Amino acid sequence: MTMKETGVSRRKFLQFSGMGSAALQLPVGLNILTLSESLAAASDNGFAVSTAAYGDWRDIYLERWRWDKVVKSSHFVNCWYQAHCAWNVYVKDGLVWREEQVGTYEATNPDVPDANPRGCQKGACYSEKMYDPSRLKYPLKRVGERGSGRWQRISWDQALAEIAESYVDIMVNEGTDRNILELGPLFTMGTMAVGTGQLSALTDATTLDMNTEIGDGHRGALETFGKIVFERSADDYFHSDLIFIWGGNPVYTQIPNIHFMLEAKYNGATIVVIAPDYSASAIKGDIFARINPGSDAALALGMAHVIINESLYDEAFLIEQTDMPLLVREDNAQFLRSKDLEDGAIEVKSGAFDEFYVIDQHGELAKVPKTSLALGELKPDMKASRQAQLKNGESVQVHTVFTLLQDKVSQYAPDKASAICGTPANQIIDLARLMASAKSACMTTTSNIGKYYHGNLMERAQALVFALCGQYGKKGSGFVAFPFLNLEGASNVVMSSMDPTGQLRKQMAEGAKQLAAAGYTKEMIAYEMTRIQDESGTATQVHGSMFWYTHGGLLETNEKMHEWDPHLNRPVKEVFEQSLKEGWQHVAPKPGDDPRLMISIGSNPLRRIRSYPQLLKHLWPKLRTIVDLDSRLTSTGMMSDYVLPVSAWYERDEVKWVTPLMPYMHGGEKATTYYESKSDWEIMSRLVEAIEKEAKSKGYATFKDRAGRERPFEGIYAVMSGFGKYAHDGDAQLAADIIAHSDNLDGDWEDIKKKGFIPFNGTGDGALSIGTQTEFKKGETITPLTNHVIKKVPYPTLTRRMQFYIDQELYLEFGEQLPTHKDSPKIGGDYPLQITGGHARWSIHSAWRDSRLMLRQQRGEPLIHMNIDDAKKRGIKDGDQVRVFNDMDDFQIMAKVSPAVKPDQTIIYHAWENFQFKDGRGFQNLMPAPLNPVELAGGQFHLRPTNIMASPGHFDRDTRVEVEPVS
Amino acid sequence: MRPSDKQAENQLGMVMDLNKCIGCHTCTMACKRLWTRGEGMEHMWWNTVNTKPGKGTPRDWEKMGGGFKDGVAQPGHLPTKEEFGEAWEFNSKELFFEGKGAKGKLEIKGEQPDWGPNWDEDQGAGEYPDNYYFYLPRICNHCSDPACLAACPRKAIEKNSDNGIVTINADRCRGYRFCMSACPYKKIYLNHQTGITEKCIFCFPRVEKGVAPACARQCPGRVRFVGYTNDMDAPIGKLIHEWKVALPLHPEYGTSPNVFYVPPLAPALLGKDGKPDESKPRIPNDYLVSLFGPDVLDALETLKGEMAKRKDTGESELMDLLIAYNWKDMFGGFDRDPETIEWVKDSA
Repeated sequence: MTMKETGVSRRKFLQFSGMGSAALQLPVGLNILTLSESLAAASDNGFAVSTAAYGDWRDIYLERWRWDKVVKSSHFVNCWYQAHCAWNVYVKDGLVWREEQVGTYEATNPDVPDANPRGCQKGACYSEKMYDPSRLKYPLKRVGERGSGRWQRISWDQALAEIAESYVDIMVNEGTDRNILELGPLFTMGTMAVGTGQLSALTDATTLDMNTEIGDGHRGALETFGKIVFERSADDYFHSDLIFIWGGNPVYTQIPNIHFMLEAKYNGATIVVIAPDYSASAIKGDIFARINPGSDAALALGMAHVIINESLYDEAFLIEQTDMPLLVREDNAQFLRSKDLEDGAIEVKSGAFDEFYVIDQHGELAKVPKTSLALGELKPDMKASRQAQLKNGESVQVHTVFTLLQDKVSQYAPDKASAICGTPANQIIDLARLMASAKSACMTTTSNIGKYYHGNLMERAQALVFALCGQYGKKGSGFVAFPFLNLEGASNVVMSSMDPTGQLRKQMAEGAKQLAAAGYTKEMIAYEMTRIQDESGTATQVHGSMFWYTHGGLLETNEKMHEWDPHLNRPVKEVFEQSLKEGWQHVAPKPGDDPRLMISIGSNPLRRIRSYPQLLKHLWPKLRTIVDLDSRLTSTGMMSDYVLPVSAWYERDEVKWVTPLMPYMHGGEKATTYYESKSDWEIMSRLVEAIEKEAKSKGYATFKDRAGRERPFEGIYAVMSGFGKYAHDGDAQLAADIIAHSDNLDGDWEDIKKKGFIPFNGTGDGALSIGTQTEFKKGETITPLTNHVIKKVPYPTLTRRMQFYIDQELYLEFGEQLPTHKDSPKIGGDYPLQITGGHARWSIHSAWRDSRLMLRQQRGEPLIHMNIDDAKKRGIKDGDQVRVFNDMDDFQIMAKVSPAVKPDQTIIYHAWENFQFKDGRGFQNLMPAPLNPVELAGGQFHLRPTNIMASPGHFDRDTRVEVEPVS
Repeated sequence: MRPSDKQAENQLGMVMDLNKCIGCHTCTMACKRLWTRGEGMEHMWWNTVNTKPGKGTPRDWEKMGGGFKDGVAQPGHLPTKEEFGEAWEFNSKELFFEGKGAKGKLEIKGEQPDWGPNWDEDQGAGEYPDNYYFYLPRICNHCSDPACLAACPRKAIEKNSDNGIVTINADRCRGYRFCMSACPYKKIYLNHQTGITEKCIFCFPRVEKGVAPACARQCPGRVRFVGYTNDMDAPIGKLIHEWKVALPLHPEYGTSPNVFYVPPLAPALLGKDGKPDESKPRIPNDYLVSLFGPDVLDALETLKGEMAKRKDTGESELMDLLIAYNWKDMFGGFDRDPETIEWVKDSA
């Protein structure tokens, strides 16, 4: 209903009220409705006489609320779990005045709560942030030393011409792979993705995939499920009767979703919070289980001990869905494979065609089917063992994975597990029994576990207890890993520009057909396509972690790792080199080929990378040109040569990926403009044009790409523009086409402009979304992995099952065949306090970290949270400035002292900018970014690197420090 | 002498469910961006969220007096700007664009503060692992017996007879600030630019058009129920009167507040044997009684009883109300989408 309203003065309003006084006699609750209806009627009858503003004091308030127009938008930042929320942007006098949530999501069905209104405090004040003093207005060029803070305003033409000059020179004279595009948390997968994707494709520049580097690699999920992406819709929590918040802090990180969990609690669910500190999420639990940081595997294995010993496990589930019945050779700790027993078994390096064995109901060896989880007549015995005769005549003892697991968990009786993890033994027993008796137990996603050095083991052990109890595939059940739900349109738009004849797409379709014929599922094919490209050495996308270790000096910080990690029997560097030599991991440019130019696109590596001073020392001198694209000046922008002002989120026509937690694609229409800022698309588009122009002026006709092909400069801008379809300011057309080219969306760009969001109708077949493996049915909440659990579609692992046993050689070398507990290594030296962290309540990565309004609700500067006793022992009071140090470095920060922090733990929340610390010395300076050697593995089917997974992570949660007062 | 025996027949109010409040401050920012963005208002937070136990905003406001005792107005302390927390300004411009460079520090200009409106966030009380805290969001209570109104010699404070909203008439206010001392909740601020006092207006321009207050409508935790407190067709009336699980904060202050709270539950304590110890609650009863009065114990029992019933039987009308399946049902009829309003341009 749209009504004409007026800025009625109080006096006029009273007249209306008088007219509506009869309505006020009506039963309460109805009167205001009647009142506003009367008002509407009055308006329609021409009563709505416009009055001058400021009739009296009440009008001053009314004026603050009034607006000229409303535009739909969102915040195109990586809020991850919380993404995304539809906002009305209220524009007044050509500026964004304020914002308020749209609030028009419909409930999935009447039996679950709706998702309204979504949003958070950061989104609710972006209109303030976008006009604050950090905002960039013009392109800037450094005129002093890097980091001197001396800038000169230049024109866009000059900025792009100078960057293009450097860019082309590098392409032609040193190698295309030395131009680096650094992509960060402002990546949208929309128009921005088309811009950066085509810049990279057209000029063969290296792009960095930062997912594993930031610690979001979910290595344990990869090892177990062969993938990391699977998540539920937030309203699916409502079907759970047991919710584990284990490692995460959704009260901080899932602000718009958390109501579903708390409403599930009112619906009868028990919330278990497992955390070292009594976190903001812990206070919402029914059960708070304290745990020593980094010891979650011991707790999980303690639970597994109880579940197995008390025979609470779901044997049928384990036999059908997991590797528990598969046989492992006693002599070499490898799975028993077809090639061990048969001549002529198909053998490829990845083991893709290996077949695996169980002991059947007759006590005989039998192959398990690989193209379905359904076992048919086969009834494997997961507790048997026997001899197997190899094809060379030798006889070896074989055991089931379950038997090996029983041996493993026997070391974790509750009292023993308790001694490691600090959770009381009786509580471990209670948690195990709760999990086993729950109708539907679920996990809430976390990006915390993966930031521990042994996070992979912790995550495998967590996935294990859910599997033991068969807690997958039912509504409201399941361990989950990495939430991602992407629109595939951007890559399709890039494809139609890059491959106008369709030749490439035909080849890809042919390749996919062959893989399907070889028994690959759609999901496996999606991952395999990237792996094949990675292994060919021609991929432009490289895992950021491998890049920083190779070119950023981070391997140097690992030289002391063998002192810190007692399990490490040889230098990490040696494993690193082995991995590159074996082709397990890949890097570009190759070692020795120094990177020369870096464009940081909405990224902030100097804020983000643990041990960032190494980058300044090693990488920065190699880079001739450093360009930062952002709407504000970041830690990285301050150390760049050029800073290019990017439009704020309300100033763009854009669409963005989300997660299954909120399965609606969100987008927004350009509401206003600001000085000379431009969208990422426009900047990329103009840069490609400038590159072509520069090459022409220098007389370069072609460049050689990393595959050795000569490619012409001429025409690259024509391709960039989709042969004239997308002008520099063609964002809206591009956004519309991206939606049109996405087959998993219901709706179009016009719907986005009208409503702000459109629903996803499925995951699509893209590698970033397909892992959730479930159908999105209208009227039903989303539960992940039902394709595996219900439809018996194989998992994309080596064994095609949920796999708890890994026999890759590094896993055998480091004793990680099965989930196990390893003590958190003393990273940074033998100091008594551990720095943990977490995503913040008050920022999304470093966005909003320097917001005035946010800082005023904190303490205006970074904080280290400490336990009262730890502080007292050191003579530290709440609010004191302290020095934090270890073998690596030191920094200064304010202490916040509280009983909510566990003794020996300290917490520094995510993403303070380096410039928020004294002398610009950011807190990650003493975090060495250690490499866990098993993460350098590869070769085996599902351990090979691909998009966003299976490459090493950087860890910070194991960092040890001492803290002293600053005198 | 009681200043306002004549209560508005229809009183607007709120119920805030502390079990759903996550301390995210979206309410705070929604209010800030709508009402207190002007000069002289930088330090104002008409809506605050504080960690309890804690000193709150302004610091130690519960020790500042005001309100009524046995109908007699009590003396109150006039809270200072420093006690509320200053609106810190930062050296952003100098740091980013005036040559400080990457070795510079973004910092608060002038003296470094030792207090702010949310300084003791997430600290709480007790001893790990048995410690406790929860979030307490606050706005003006739009009291039925407003101490501020009684204290104003200018008669600048009005209680709307249609809806009970208490407002300060800026045309009459001269900034004497008696209201600031008299309000026992210390929810009134002085505008240092205009010299008059200002406070939460229950978003009257919005509610007059059928739109819920911004703090309630923008709350992603779905914490706040809005409406006439005696509207028994709306959740707010049922929660206060029928289920009696929503209680005023500090009823002993004698002002009859119209914001009500569903009291907080907390995880069970563990005994030495590692088993749940149900003999005492994590948040001490005495503490909750000191905030919400003795009725809080019955309210908690009702809440726990209905939660147990829901667990066992799947049924509970109270749980249905608190779940608030349909978001708009929370607003007692004030559920109009503000986007549907189309303003007529002023002719003047």
